[in-house]
Amino acid sequence: MAENGEEKLIAVARHIAKTLGHTDNTADDILQIFSNFDGRLREKLSEKLTEDDDVLNNSSLDQTLKALDRRISRYLSSDRWIWSDSADSAAFLDAVDDLIGVIRDWTPMAAEKSVASGLDRAEDLLQRGMFRLEDEFKSLMERGGESFDVTRYSNGDPTGFDSDEDIDEDENDDDEEIPVAHRISDFNIVIDALPSGTINDLHEIAKRMVIAGYGKECSHAYSSYRREFLEESVSRLGLHKLSSIDEVQKMQWADLEEEIEKWIKAANVAVRIFFPSERRLCDRVFYGFSNASDLSFMEVCRGVMTQLLQFADAVAIGSRAPERLYKVLDVFEALRDLIPHIQMVFSDQYCLFLCNEAISIWKKLGEAIRGIFMELENLIRRDPAKAAVPGGGLHPITRYVMNYIRVACQSRQTLEQVFEDGVSAPVDRPSSSSLLSVHMSWMMELLESNLEAKSKIYRDTALASVFMMNNGRYIVQKVKDSELGSLLGDDWTRKHTAKVKQYHVNYQRSSWSKVLQVLKLDNNSSSPTVELRAMKEKIKLFNNQFDEICKTQSNWVIFDEQLREELRISVFSNLSMAYRSFLGRVQSVADTGRQMERHIKYNAEDLESKVNELFRGNGRRK
Amino acid sequence: MPAADFQGSPASHTSRSFLSLRRDQVHSMDSNDSTNQSQGLETFQRHVADFLADLSSASSGDLLSLSWVQKLLDVFLVCQEEFRALLSGKKEELNRQPMNRLVNEYFDRSVKALDVCNAIRDGIEQIRQWQMQLEILLCALDGQKSLGEGQFRRAKRALIDLAIGMLDEKESNSVVSQRNRSFGRSGVNRENRSMENHRSLSWSVSRSWSAARQLQAIGNNIIAPRPNEILATNGLAVAAYTMNYVLYFVIWALVAAIPCQDRGLQTHFHVARQFIWAGPILSLHEKILEESKKRDRRNSTGLLREIHEIEKCARHMNALIDSVNLPLNDEKEDEVRQRVKEVKIVYEAIKESLNPMERQVREVFHRIVRSRTECLDSMGRASTS
Repeated sequence: MAENGEEKLIAVARHIAKTLGHTDNTADDILQIFSNFDGRLREKLSEKLTEDDDVLNNSSLDQTLKALDRRISRYLSSDRWIWSDSADSAAFLDAVDDLIGVIRDWTPMAAEKSVASGLDRAEDLLQRGMFRLEDEFKSLMERGGESFDVTRYSNGDPTGFDSDEDIDEDENDDDEEIPVAHRISDFNIVIDALPSGTINDLHEIAKRMVIAGYGKECSHAYSSYRREFLEESVSRLGLHKLSSIDEVQKMQWADLEEEIEKWIKAANVAVRIFFPSERRLCDRVFYGFSNASDLSFMEVCRGVMTQLLQFADAVAIGSRAPERLYKVLDVFEALRDLIPHIQMVFSDQYCLFLCNEAISIWKKLGEAIRGIFMELENLIRRDPAKAAVPGGGLHPITRYVMNYIRVACQSRQTLEQVFEDGVSAPVDRPSSSSLLSVHMSWMMELLESNLEAKSKIYRDTALASVFMMNNGRYIVQKVKDSELGSLLGDDWTRKHTAKVKQYHVNYQRSSWSKVLQVLKLDNNSSSPTVELRAMKEKIKLFNNQFDEICKTQSNWVIFDEQLREELRISVFSNLSMAYRSFLGRVQSVADTGRQMERHIKYNAEDLESKVNELFRGNGRRK
Repeated sequence: MPAADFQGSPASHTSRSFLSLRRDQVHSMDSNDSTNQSQGLETFQRHVADFLADLSSASSGDLLSLSWVQKLLDVFLVCQEEFRALLSGKKEELNRQPMNRLVNEYFDRSVKALDVCNAIRDGIEQIRQWQMQLEILLCALDGQKSLGEGQFRRAKRALIDLAIGMLDEKESNSVVSQRNRSFGRSGVNRENRSMENHRSLSWSVSRSWSAARQLQAIGNNIIAPRPNEILATNGLAVAAYTMNYVLYFVIWALVAAIPCQDRGLQTHFHVARQFIWAGPILSLHEKILEESKKRDRRNSTGLLREIHEIEKCARHMNALIDSVNLPLNDEKEDEVRQRVKEVKIVYEAIKESLNPMERQVREVFHRIVRSRTECLDSMGRASTS
């Protein structure tokens, strides 16, 4: 019954429309009234009407179009933004929807001339509607963006980022409010770049534009605006447009260090906050149209991402000077940590190339680090042998290299990774050692052979041994004192400690054996006078030689206190033993010790105090 | 080989096989033997001359086209490989003067070229934006749709956006406000920022960067080696001089073809005439300069053939649309369809070749870096490098 009633109603409506069909405005108004009366009527009316004959067809399309034209044109000519009033925007969208529907419904009949011309008008109206939608879209983005300043930080200081800290207690992630009122201490904070209502509005518009085939214009409008917004946000983080590789090469290292700091912060904020935020926004605005969303997102982010990567590239390509190591390591580690995030946010087909580029630049940074170590090796190798350290002390290169490596090995894990990554084919090496330890022991070898070459400059072999002792001792100490110890292994440490001892022995021999030889007495019993005379000569010789040695060697240096003591003690103990037995013999032979006394310059205590003045260096108190 | 094989063509596989043949010959040049070396040097120069002559022999329709530029980049890659092969295993020599200085100078120049490669990528991105406007145009006018006012308006706006995009930055702002008045809402107060939306991209380089200056820096001081230098380096100085010019020319041609910030082509090519490649390089240089001076190319943002095509068919399309009176008669409609086809051809050509070309530019970038790193490392760098 209800069905019949409806049918009747529709028939009546049709009849009225037919009758009044030729008077444009009234007919349209009537149809409009009927349509607005009941949604079903609207459907049924247009439905039923299409079943009628040509004339009625045309006039229905005509009428429909006329009605739509009025509904849409009143907004097109309005000066105000349609979206400043939600009733207006809803009505406008409705009209557009209807227009799209009409075009869709009538297109199959486009072969017919009258329909075709009607469709032309419809398309024309659609185009004007779309252009207006585009304007509204742009204006919504501009106005929405104004009230939001995502780069406003609590103390206005964009350097307040610290990814290591825990989540802030007063988590305030209410989407509607200004999102970043406190320090960004956790990258999980949600940033909504636009107010929620605006995003919905944008989505409603985007939907229509894409469906109507104007998706490219919409996407372009969207990404142009967001790209600029993003670039501005990033530039507020202090990163200049420094992608010129040439500039980066020419920069003073101190300046570059500063830029690198800024870069690390900017890259983290961009990858962990800005890009995901843009992705979310894209997905919401272009919800349901993943291709448009992906494309727009790529257009928005590619510029900034490329710029960030180009800087990292420039760092990787730069000089291999060893002092750059720590900063290059910083960039390497920063990028390494960011890559999972990069892969996550740039996971769609259009952005894949950004991931690939990030990875390839990260690898280049690894290469750069390997290159820096190679350069260090070259430096060691090339350090000239002619610079002899007075007093046989610590050579600057030993200090430099050992401290450098000691600090570098604080980033042991990263370095292990860098060296492992550098291998394309399996390397023949003992399974227990990593490539890093292989490199380190190689560097130690280079250092040692360089030092050995330097030691040959000394004409005095004893001094050469002292030099080797000093430097060897320093090396072993630094090794024991750091990661190097475990990298190089206990065997290495033992071996090199033994080497230092060997130098000690060499020193002993080359310095003191002659003197000690002097103190040796023959056991053949000559006449006492002959013996005494020989002893007198010996004492004189001993005194001279001993004085000589003490004079020379008091200027020599042993930097390590313990080693110095050890040396003095061993020198003294050897000496005193020989001296004591010598003196003993002297006294047993000479009845009147007084005869010899004036020749004997030193007693045992004197010897000791003289020996204790050895290795003092140049007048410095020791 | 007959010259016909080398005509620049969309089927660039012909030219590719020519170049890959050369690549094989490169490997045979890796040798320390001194007779081989002088042979190698001669071969290198001959190759360069041949490549350049081949590039020069392109028809006027092919010169500076996307496929021609790809060939140019290929030529660079092969030449650099040959150069690298000549230098390999010559560690002692490279560490002596004057070769040490010459090699370091070359690598310094190649670093400057890296910046140009990056700037070129910006230019390629710009062309992509124009491609998008063409796509909108085709969306409006291509296909079976009947051509109504709406479509023409849409097409017209795309053409205007395209024109703005192809303008010099400084000129674009005034045009933009005009454009807004005709298509946007009148009487609406827009912020300046929205003007910039029409400038599709900002350059990724700093405002002070200049392609012209970079070119000058690259081309600066490329001095032909003196006889005593040639002798002292066993001829390697000539190889360095040759490679310097190859680098300089390729970068210059790239800047000529692709839009980039502050393009200036008036750089000097003072090539010493005694080298066999001097003729070809100068003739190519001349041809490209001539192209840049032509009346309809003087103000172009780039000499790329496809850019010219875009300009031409956009101009035609513009004129046509302006002359359209609806409803269209058959004749007019045919004309429109014809022009749309033109646009489509250009659009397809760009769509097909732009991405591969960008990848090649990136490849050139990589190889320059790699070559430099390897060579400097094998020489045992100076501590300041």
